[in-house]
Amino acid sequence: MGGLDKFFETIRKFVKGKKKDEIPFHDLFARFQQIIQKNNAAMEIIADMGSKTSGDFLFDNKYLVDSINQLEEHIRQNAYNLNVMANNRYLEIFEVVEELSKDLATNLSGKIVSRERKMIFFMDEIEDHMQDLVGPKAFNLSRVIKYTEANVPKGFVVTIGAFRNYMAYNNLFERIAELIEDFQEENITVESASDALRLMILGGDHLPEIRRGILAACKQIITSDREVYYYSIRSSAMAEGGDLSFAGLHDSFLNVPYGEVLSNYKKVMASLYNRASLEYRRKHKLFPMEMAMAVLCQEIVNSRVSGVLYTVDPSAPDQPECLLTAVWGLGNVVVESRSMADTYRVSRYPPHSILKENIPLKGWMTAPFEMGDGSEVSPERRAKPCLAAHEAAEIVKVSLMLERYFKQPLDVEWSLDQEGKLWILQARPMHITRPKHHLSSKLPEVLKDYRVLLANQGEIAYRGIGAGPVWKVEDKADLSLVPNGAVLVSRFGPPWLAEAIPRVSAVVTDIGSTTAHMATVARESMIPTLVGTGTATEVLTAGQEVTVDAIRNVIYEGRIPELLHHHLLTKGTFENTYEFRLLRRLLQRIAPLTLTDPEAPNFTVNNCRTIHDIMRFIHEKAIGVLTQYGKKPRSLIRLGGKRLKSDLPIDLMMIDIGGGFTKNVGKGEYIEPHQIASFPMKALWEGLSSPETWSTDPVNVDFKDMMSSLSRTQAAEVLGQVVPGVNLAVIGADYVNLNLRLGYHISAVDAGLGATIENNYIFFRFIGGVSDITQRSRRASLLMSILEQNGFKVKLTGDLVIARAIQLTEAQMNHHLCLIGKLLGFTRQLDVLLKSDGDIDIYFEKFMNSIMLNTTNQQIKEDGI
Amino acid sequence: MNKTTVCILDDEVIVGDRLKPELEDEGYEVETFTDSSKALERVYQKCFDVVVTDLKMEGLDGMAFLEKVKEHCPQSEVIVITGYATMEVFRESFVKGAYEFIAKPFRLSEIRDAVKKAKKKVRRTNLIGSLKGRTK
Repeated sequence: MGGLDKFFETIRKFVKGKKKDEIPFHDLFARFQQIIQKNNAAMEIIADMGSKTSGDFLFDNKYLVDSINQLEEHIRQNAYNLNVMANNRYLEIFEVVEELSKDLATNLSGKIVSRERKMIFFMDEIEDHMQDLVGPKAFNLSRVIKYTEANVPKGFVVTIGAFRNYMAYNNLFERIAELIEDFQEENITVESASDALRLMILGGDHLPEIRRGILAACKQIITSDREVYYYSIRSSAMAEGGDLSFAGLHDSFLNVPYGEVLSNYKKVMASLYNRASLEYRRKHKLFPMEMAMAVLCQEIVNSRVSGVLYTVDPSAPDQPECLLTAVWGLGNVVVESRSMADTYRVSRYPPHSILKENIPLKGWMTAPFEMGDGSEVSPERRAKPCLAAHEAAEIVKVSLMLERYFKQPLDVEWSLDQEGKLWILQARPMHITRPKHHLSSKLPEVLKDYRVLLANQGEIAYRGIGAGPVWKVEDKADLSLVPNGAVLVSRFGPPWLAEAIPRVSAVVTDIGSTTAHMATVARESMIPTLVGTGTATEVLTAGQEVTVDAIRNVIYEGRIPELLHHHLLTKGTFENTYEFRLLRRLLQRIAPLTLTDPEAPNFTVNNCRTIHDIMRFIHEKAIGVLTQYGKKPRSLIRLGGKRLKSDLPIDLMMIDIGGGFTKNVGKGEYIEPHQIASFPMKALWEGLSSPETWSTDPVNVDFKDMMSSLSRTQAAEVLGQVVPGVNLAVIGADYVNLNLRLGYHISAVDAGLGATIENNYIFFRFIGGVSDITQRSRRASLLMSILEQNGFKVKLTGDLVIARAIQLTEAQMNHHLCLIGKLLGFTRQLDVLLKSDGDIDIYFEKFMNSIMLNTTNQQIKEDGI
Repeated sequence: MNKTTVCILDDEVIVGDRLKPELEDEGYEVETFTDSSKALERVYQKCFDVVVTDLKMEGLDGMAFLEKVKEHCPQSEVIVITGYATMEVFRESFVKGAYEFIAKPFRLSEIRDAVKKAKKKVRRTNLIGSLKGRTK
């Protein structure tokens, strides 16, 4: 820590040396420009890292380390730049940067990091990045809940953080370390080491808040109305680096009554030091690694039959067969091999017929809601098969659906309840070694028989193989109709497409880039995706069965089971490589933007959760420093600001941070529109000043509306919103930040172009207006439709519209900014016109038709779209 | 026809782990190494058609490995992959006989294409060699 303190001290001293308010204006500009450049460079790195999650690249640990180092360098310099601009008003930012940086470094070193304070999560609260918090078992099951339609019993997880807290609360860390050292040096036997370690954990006390939390959560997950509630308590152990599954080494308990949940939670934690677990770790030399235990607690299913399904036979993985075992009651007797079980071989192909079965006498079972060691199976059920053919088929069908999501052969634990409903209790990837005589050499032969519909068109946005019937989507309304497992085909890749992506087997677009939002979602949901194929919507027919090979970039006619199966068995699927998972973990702390609204009260340094947040914060605050001058137009002009001369009723002041004006601008107070050289400002102005924008019919604002608008303005001021005294644009050759108050609307546009498409972005914020909240919300909805239709990602909160578009071509930038310019004029009086929700469609049409259509078509041609 | 043989050397495990199945699917016979001395041992036993090697490694580094491979198996084509792609390294690799140079990270299609081209060249060299042998 000493080093860090010193670091801050140096910075403080350094910046203290300067006197307040003495930064010359041109220095401010230079700093501001640097901030924009560095942010651009950082965005490029983030986009590059994001593209590496497509699976189409080979990258190593060095790449990750280098990228993070560069990224941090840019952010540190910008934190410094901002503080120079703002007289050290934001020194805390250095601490936030260092904290994030430490976090990233810990991740890179392979350690488990958890910044999450919450220690109990319900299964449906677990998010994509929480694997290290809840352990692999609970995490996989939570993905089943989130991404598939399978039934999973209600439950919650007590996190790895809670495990650590338990250890700390009971002062166990050191004693455990000592015992393990003794065991490693063979001073003590595995029996005595294990016994001592487990006793230590069993003898500890629960933290009061965990005890309360667990008991409350237990009550919340109950759906049945029994007198006594029963639970399953399962281990979800985790090692740093996280590549080992430790399957079967730790304890799980079934039929645990409410009153014994807490003691069983301890038992599961203690099983981290089972003899088998200790031996395993010694054998695999895992002791230097940190281990921790998350625990999963679920309601017990009232099971009639339970069992395990392997979606692939590990001893004959090339065969298209599943292996199914089943017993009466709960499944622990299968897992623990305590009783004979029925075994079935079931075809992987529909209708999933039973190919072979073996029905032995089943002597022992565990009934649900029964304590103790189990009971004898009643004589009439002993020799009876546990499963009917249609039940076996259903189990296989659902498990194969899960397999499609996990993209790996699975070991699935399941239960059928008394009503015959199927429950998924666990889904664990099987690690199957690809057999020697594997079909890879046969593959080229097999593929010859299939017709190639498209080859080497476009780019791989996410690597993998998917097959299904083609389903074409043209607009948002079609989305809800997209069936599970379809191949989603679309001309464009608009952000709204994201909603359907998790449930399809592949995505293909004519136009789009691997860095667009839609592609990011495809990567997050691990759906094979090809973008920019040019002609997919023409070549592929709706309903046609196709196989999308997003590895070799080919689309085949028909379903190719050999290819799908082959891919399933490919060892080391990239999703499971350590580097890939590390990249995703790192990105989680880098890429998301959680601070979206600069006017919201939570827009503070301490709420910056990611690198992107910090970048955004720095940018906004730097803009804030510049626009402060806008409050005093006179001083602004003295410092080089110019008033825009125009016939429009807009008083717009501009400051140039470099290259924003043409060279022939004199020293005077005014500038003509043709003297604007800033590319994005020109586009905005073109839209804003276009004749259609100002030819809207005059609107009669009635008295009520007027009153409402008056109070609205006051409210805005009371809320302390940043409304510059004049409308102000900060412009550079490739940059614009415009704060505009038109009528009663307050809007902000921030847009910039960088060296590559990845750096081009538009941010648009819109709020306020005449009339009541209903009408304002209507206008906001209308804005949202128009912006979304044009590829913006839009967030709507009441009547606040926040829209973002990223990774745009120059032509798209021009078009979108022109559109925003027009929108600003168009919406000026719109909320008074929007009398009912139905009007939204009318005005949407009106706007799109009268203003947009021509330009869009023209633009599309220019873009070559 | 015999399968084309490929040797992959990179001290980061992920490189071999990902390239092996990738190239096997193209019909090659692939062996992977993370330790350059072990890879060299193997090269002394058997000349591979195509060798893919990283540059910066503990012990014998990639540049030295490249030299030894070309010395012992002149007909092998070597593809250099590295995360330290400077002009200097690039030039040195070619001077020492590398066939292709790919900067990490790269698209898997790049390595597929590079190995394919290298394979063709090896075939051609071998064919010319055998024809020359016949005329002698």
